[in-house]
Amino acid sequence: MWHYNLELAVRGLRRFPRSTMLVLLTVALGLAACMTTLTLLHMLSADPLPGRSQNLYLAWVDTVLAKPMDSHSAAMELNHVTFDTGYHRIKLADAQALLAAHRAVRQTVVADMEADEISGDGRHAERQQLILATTSDFIPMFGVTLRYGRDWTPAEDANRTPVAVIDTDLATKLFGTPDAVGRDVRLKHTLFRVVGVIQPYAPQPSFYALDHGAYSSDGGENLYAPYTAALDAGLVPDDSDACDASYKASATQAANDPQHCATLGLWVQLDTPRQVAGYRAYLQGYVQQQTALAGFGKPPRSQLTGVADWLKQKNVVPDRVRLNVWLAGSFLLLCMVNVAGLLSARFLRRSGEVGIRRALGAPRRAVFQQHVLEAGLVCLVGGVLAWPLTLLGLWILRQQGDAFSGLARLDPAMFGALFGLALLVGVLVGLLPAWRVAVVEPGLQVKSE
Amino acid sequence: MSLRIHVSTLRRHSLMPLLVLLQVMLACAILCNVLFLTWQQLAPMLAPSGVDTADLVLVDHLPSPGRPWTAAEVQAGTEALREVPGVRAVSAANGLPMIANYLYMVAMQGPTGVKLGANGYQGYDLLDTLGLQLVSGRNFRPDEYRDIGTDQGKGTLEPVIITQSMARQLFGKASPLGGVLRAPGDHKDPGWQVVGVVRHLLRNQVGMATRGRADNTVLLPQRVAKTSWLFYAVRVDPSMRQAALRGIRKALQRQFGALLPVGTKPRAEFYAVHRAAVFKSRRAALWMFAGVALTVVIVTVIGIMGLTGFWVQKRTRQIGIRRALGARRVDILRYFLVENALIVGLGVVLGMALAYVGNAWLMHAYELSRLPWTYLPYGALLMLLLGQLAVLSPALRAARVPPVVATRSV
Repeated sequence: MWHYNLELAVRGLRRFPRSTMLVLLTVALGLAACMTTLTLLHMLSADPLPGRSQNLYLAWVDTVLAKPMDSHSAAMELNHVTFDTGYHRIKLADAQALLAAHRAVRQTVVADMEADEISGDGRHAERQQLILATTSDFIPMFGVTLRYGRDWTPAEDANRTPVAVIDTDLATKLFGTPDAVGRDVRLKHTLFRVVGVIQPYAPQPSFYALDHGAYSSDGGENLYAPYTAALDAGLVPDDSDACDASYKASATQAANDPQHCATLGLWVQLDTPRQVAGYRAYLQGYVQQQTALAGFGKPPRSQLTGVADWLKQKNVVPDRVRLNVWLAGSFLLLCMVNVAGLLSARFLRRSGEVGIRRALGAPRRAVFQQHVLEAGLVCLVGGVLAWPLTLLGLWILRQQGDAFSGLARLDPAMFGALFGLALLVGVLVGLLPAWRVAVVEPGLQVKSE
Repeated sequence: MSLRIHVSTLRRHSLMPLLVLLQVMLACAILCNVLFLTWQQLAPMLAPSGVDTADLVLVDHLPSPGRPWTAAEVQAGTEALREVPGVRAVSAANGLPMIANYLYMVAMQGPTGVKLGANGYQGYDLLDTLGLQLVSGRNFRPDEYRDIGTDQGKGTLEPVIITQSMARQLFGKASPLGGVLRAPGDHKDPGWQVVGVVRHLLRNQVGMATRGRADNTVLLPQRVAKTSWLFYAVRVDPSMRQAALRGIRKALQRQFGALLPVGTKPRAEFYAVHRAAVFKSRRAALWMFAGVALTVVIVTVIGIMGLTGFWVQKRTRQIGIRRALGARRVDILRYFLVENALIVGLGVVLGMALAYVGNAWLMHAYELSRLPWTYLPYGALLMLLLGQLAVLSPALRAARVPPVVATRSV
């Protein structure tokens, strides 16, 4: 029966090629629009570090000795500008104290710094590169893959040893070989000894360095060094959330001195809910001890934020990406109504035959099944057609020049979703026309022929 | 032919008209919202700049070298640019049109109680350098300027030049000259006194340049002195445009090159180049929305044509009978046009309601602004026209049905 119905459905499809083409094209357009926008949303809201991110938390205590930033002035409100409440970074002294307490499974600080990276022999230089100043825990904690050599040790952190881990891209650029262990990279006037080489590492979105943009097509930092050694070398964090009120030394105002400015992000690894609760209490206790804050009318504030919450809080997926999904979704709905209409017209044109089939004893169910099958088939073929269209749509997105548009690529999951959606659309769209043709009265149709 | 006949026909065969109605409703809702989104993108691009743009060079990418620029350095830059052959006027500025990476925002409240937000442009004699058109009042006097970053003039009314649009919003029909504007929510600030009104001046927060807010911009009598942010506006001789631009670039390099962080280069470009860069993503979005709108229109037209075509075919015999009974071709044509208008009209009404609901939801979820009612009639009219266009070919086919069909069996 199935086989017979399938045969009838295929035959039906080939009967009116022009209208079949119209239906196919409409379905394909609707599916492609929907899949293009969904794919982008899927890529942008993906977990940056699957398997690890749920145990990583950004810890923050507000110890900046200044009045809270006025984020709701009338000027900003009337111009519809909202002030970003910062990236939850902390000052150097707090970072050191919290790191030394070892209250989490692992803990590390991160700060982006910018510098020229020059090979030890001075022959090759990469200008204005992003460097991640961090601690020895970063590489195991964030799941960075080492290719050659080793990561640095807590002792090297403590001794402020100028060591560095670079990625294979930088190694090849500076030294002509990915295995650059033992070579030197000069940052400002200090030589950093390369102890390890890693695979290029750039989780998307780069949740621990959002101030440089959540998404980057060209990777982020390519050199990792102990923050202690980096500060010794005279490197300065790129950006800060806020600085102490007393820190107004005019000569260095633009520099973000980590002693006085909140410039370091503290990330901790906590594996169980108990550890999370414990650490949260510890943070709050820590900030309550900072009695100097009272002078600025600041309540003791601390926060412990998981990766997923942090990304949501910083609203990293742009609103317009979601807006486009809704737009494309409603367009698909329009296409579906359209196709339902076109299919109804097609099916009803054959009510004569259906009448004969019914008069000869075919049950309603068989007629219904045949037509739903035909609709499903049309939409599946539409799905095949939508595939290149979706690729075209993604290509267009990639040409838009947004930082994230390089990520707009079809992965296997979305490829599967395309055909799942096509089938679903097919069945939904087929129901009404198939029902309409199945209730055709056999007698009437046969008589009028 | 009375409407009753139409309605009763539609009620008896309701599947096809219902599907058309549904399509029109969805298409109308989508189109209204897309038109609105398109307008949001387009409005800032269409707003007049108020600036004499042809011979204006804007300079940015002058990040301060680990400390603020000093007043002397700013002044030396101004002098160096002034000496370039072909340069007519130079203003060091904070805040310039089409330079979006520095925003100076003010809130002002007029005597009628109206509050509005505006962008401020600060710099010596920007009025002339930008080539603005003064419609009433005067330019700032040299003694009215205050140095940025100092307490100069603190506690006294600050002169301000506003735009015509702002004058209308803040003062209504009254004359704005001499009028005092207050800073809402700040009782210590003495406020501003309007000394001049310019015709237009586009704000540099271009995302806000929609719905009558494009000209919410003020000129402030503030001289760029010690500053972390530095820009220059340079007016050049129309006959020496390219030579002057080259000269400006050389002068900037000579003046600031050694002080800038490694890898940064000052940027000096004509207004049009800055404008193209600022509107780049808007243009891309515009193309996308246009594509969406066009596709929606095409899909809807095809849908209506297909459905009506089938429906006409179904009723060939009835048409033949009516023709045999004396109906003229034009009667048949009119019948189908009116029928289509009825269906589409109902769809449009429902569609507009849906558009409004959809927009209300988008507003809530994505902080989009409210869809103005004025968009709805445009969407409705467009849909009605499209409906008539789509039905034309099937209706003409129907009108060509000869009366003799009535005597045939099918």
